[in-house]
Amino acid sequence: MATFAAACGGRDADRPAPIRFLHTFSPDETELVNAMMAERGLAVEGALVPFARGQQVIGEILRAGTECPDLIRIDATWLPGLASYAVPVPPNLRTLDWTPDALALATVPQGVLGVPQTVDGLLVVRDAASPPPASTSIEDLVTAARAARSEDRKHPLGVRVDGYWLVPWLRAEAADLAPDAIAGDGATKALRSFAALFGDVAAPPPPSGAEAPDELRRWSSHDVAYWITGPWQLGALHDPERVAVTAIAGAPRGGQLLVVPACAKQPARGWQLAEELTSIAAETRFAQTFSTIPTRSEALAAAPPLSRAASEALRSAQMLPRWAVTPLLFDDLNPALAAVVAKDATAEEAIEGVRRGWARLTRGTK
Amino acid sequence: MSAKAGSLRWRVLLVLALAAIVPTMVVGVLAIMRARNDVEREVRRGALAHIRALGAALDGTLQDSRRTVELAAATWADAPDDVRETQLVMARLRRDVPIVHALSILDPDGTLRYGDPVPPGADVGSHSFGGYVGDAVHTGKTPIVQLVVQARGRTGELMGVFVASLDLAFVRDLLASARLGPGARVVVVDGAGVPVATSDGAPIGTASLAGHDPAVDRALGSSVEGTLSANGWISAYRNLSGYQSLRGVRWAILHQQPEAEAYALARRTTRDTLIIGGVALALALALGGWFATRLTRPLAALAARADAIATGHVDVAAPIEGPGEIGVLGQRIDEMAKRIAERHELQTALARGDRLASVGVMSAQVAHEINNPLTTVLGYAKLLQEDKPEGHPDRAALELIASEAERMKGIIGGLLEYARTPRQSDASIDAPPGKLEAPPVTAPAQIVRHVGALLEPQLKRTRARLVTDVKSETPLAIDAHALQQVLVNLVQNSAQAMTSGGTITISVTPAPGGIATQITVADEGPGIPAKDRARVFDPFFTTKAAGQGTGLGLAVCRHLIATAGGSIEAAEPRSGKGAEFKLVIPNA
Repeated sequence: MATFAAACGGRDADRPAPIRFLHTFSPDETELVNAMMAERGLAVEGALVPFARGQQVIGEILRAGTECPDLIRIDATWLPGLASYAVPVPPNLRTLDWTPDALALATVPQGVLGVPQTVDGLLVVRDAASPPPASTSIEDLVTAARAARSEDRKHPLGVRVDGYWLVPWLRAEAADLAPDAIAGDGATKALRSFAALFGDVAAPPPPSGAEAPDELRRWSSHDVAYWITGPWQLGALHDPERVAVTAIAGAPRGGQLLVVPACAKQPARGWQLAEELTSIAAETRFAQTFSTIPTRSEALAAAPPLSRAASEALRSAQMLPRWAVTPLLFDDLNPALAAVVAKDATAEEAIEGVRRGWARLTRGTK
Repeated sequence: MSAKAGSLRWRVLLVLALAAIVPTMVVGVLAIMRARNDVEREVRRGALAHIRALGAALDGTLQDSRRTVELAAATWADAPDDVRETQLVMARLRRDVPIVHALSILDPDGTLRYGDPVPPGADVGSHSFGGYVGDAVHTGKTPIVQLVVQARGRTGELMGVFVASLDLAFVRDLLASARLGPGARVVVVDGAGVPVATSDGAPIGTASLAGHDPAVDRALGSSVEGTLSANGWISAYRNLSGYQSLRGVRWAILHQQPEAEAYALARRTTRDTLIIGGVALALALALGGWFATRLTRPLAALAARADAIATGHVDVAAPIEGPGEIGVLGQRIDEMAKRIAERHELQTALARGDRLASVGVMSAQVAHEINNPLTTVLGYAKLLQEDKPEGHPDRAALELIASEAERMKGIIGGLLEYARTPRQSDASIDAPPGKLEAPPVTAPAQIVRHVGALLEPQLKRTRARLVTDVKSETPLAIDAHALQQVLVNLVQNSAQAMTSGGTITISVTPAPGGIATQITVADEGPGIPAKDRARVFDPFFTTKAAGQGTGLGLAVCRHLIATAGGSIEAAEPRSGKGAEFKLVIPNA
């Protein structure tokens, strides 16, 4: 009995502290991660941060520096703004078989500061019965959508009123998601063209916050033939055999990274968890479950056809400008876009407001 | 009851006990496990339903507040410089959102324009990304949260930021009004695991429960609801971020209850099941014991009866009663015992018959051997008698010798006749068909006198006195020698039985009906036991010592009387003592 008690007592004392992990996984992804870590015998103390508040909350935690997690999952656009709080990736992780697109997401001027966990961006999910657009251009996509219009399908193009979705239109007009890239008329024109879709080939937008379920419903009921979305949506599709994936010109490319903050109490264990989450087995399982795009070449080669098709479609996509303020630009762009779509404002009025807002951001004002 | 029957009863009882115990235990265990699983499942479901309802109420209040502020902010953004309109908006907000603790309106740069001072650290502007409900801030008596809403104008441009401090006392009130089971509590924690409100009045806003309470860790790390058993508590948790789509509130709500309280119903059910099962089992065992006894008792009796039969005791016994086939088996065994007894008697009778036949053959041989010298003796006695004149002193003795020899020849003739198979007499055989021998006729009085004279010497020696009482002179249809032989045997037996002397009485009276005569021979000896009265006439049955009798005397008497068509029996003595033989002989 004494031996047993001593053994138990000794075991408790030697047991390492759980790895504190702050992440932005979806509910289903969270459950899969918890299950995988349990299978691996890793003690992980996870905390879920809603994606919309992730940058704010994580920024607060890192600036405070007292209750830092050992590992954080962030959007790739957040990395430039959090670079000063992150530690470089150790060589044994940096030299793994990352895909070039994935490694580029984790690389900033300070170096490789994150382990890429998944690649995403905008692409076109098409009903396989519908013909592909003549090219990846927006015009051909809209033309194809108009051709797919019918009495039962009045709005065959699925697109969201969001600045991220505006990026291909901006780039088509030689603009971009950058403060100095909307100075000309290109942004106005892009905004006008984009807003004109709604009510035409695209359905009027649903209430704010209900975009994802509304898109999925319309796709499932065959109301949409060409759906501009990202790989994060593919896992929710119940009819993958109906799906074909194609690229859209000027599409943004991004992804999710795993970062160990400098204030982490157990940085080595943070990297250990990062390695587990980006192992071939883990990425393969993610791809099989959610049709995500693996960041490891071996896992990508073994990924399901839908994941590989999405990866191919994003090959021509381009990352957003890697500025610290980039993710903050949507704060002004999204409401302006919504105002134009709702016909509450003209494109010129909206862009003018965006310029003022972005100017305030870039001059360092909160 | 024999040891074997006892073991049978225990075996039957063991089988019945197993038949009762095994299914009772199996069913009982399954019932207990099922009940416990059902109770545990319902406890978890109930707790989850409870926190869903509480979480929905909590979130509903916060979201209602946020929507109200958003509407107000959107309205204000169209005229941000209208002071009066601004004051109206703020007044309406304070009235319509009762949980507003403080209200501020900032410009896009974060500078206060209207309302209450904003606590330091509030993140406004672009970082707020359209607005949010922040983490709980524990200042003062109750925690508050910052509700930040961007006020954007018609074109979507940021015109200002509304910052409302919401008092979270309503969470405490909500939890306090919750109806909880014994020992249960509800806790709301913020994103860092710090309690915001508890139902049991535990301290809030102090130490974080993260890292100490496994359920809190699970709740904050999970995106879905669930239950967890740890440290003797059953916890149902829900991350309230699940209610949100984009503007997530980092909260978690937990319902916690000691397992002992939560599963008390399961324990009570287990206890009740065990008690009821135990009582049922005891009743079943008692019933089984009674049934085993009832079943094995007739079986034991059957076994004992079979043992008795096997050892030769085939006496008639009380019938063995039992249920169903056992009763039938008992009847069959009884019948079998009777058959065996009858067969035994038959075999005995056959053996006796064989012995009698052997004796008859031997007797016939002996008789033939004796008959010849006896004939010589009789002849010379008569010859000597003829040579003696009347009155010669030897004449009487010679006459007696002759008469006794005649009598011995008569006895031998009777013995030979008894040993022969029943058939008509020689005369009747030699007689032409249709002509039978005339039946004998004997005067009873004469025979009685002759018997007295004949046995006088013997009676003197035994000090026995012969008394005759002849009340009927009707001739009898019996051979005189046969009747004489019978009476001589009976009187000699009586004289031998009265070792101290006594009176022997021969009575001759008419038998009822007038067609027969009854002759009674009674003595004052020890008598014949009642149980032997029927057997005294069996051949070779004797109560005399060995060598003092062959056991054939009375058998010959019965044979001689039966041949005459009469009967003889050892009757109950009228005087109450001694032996009495009653002869009934047809009248001639």
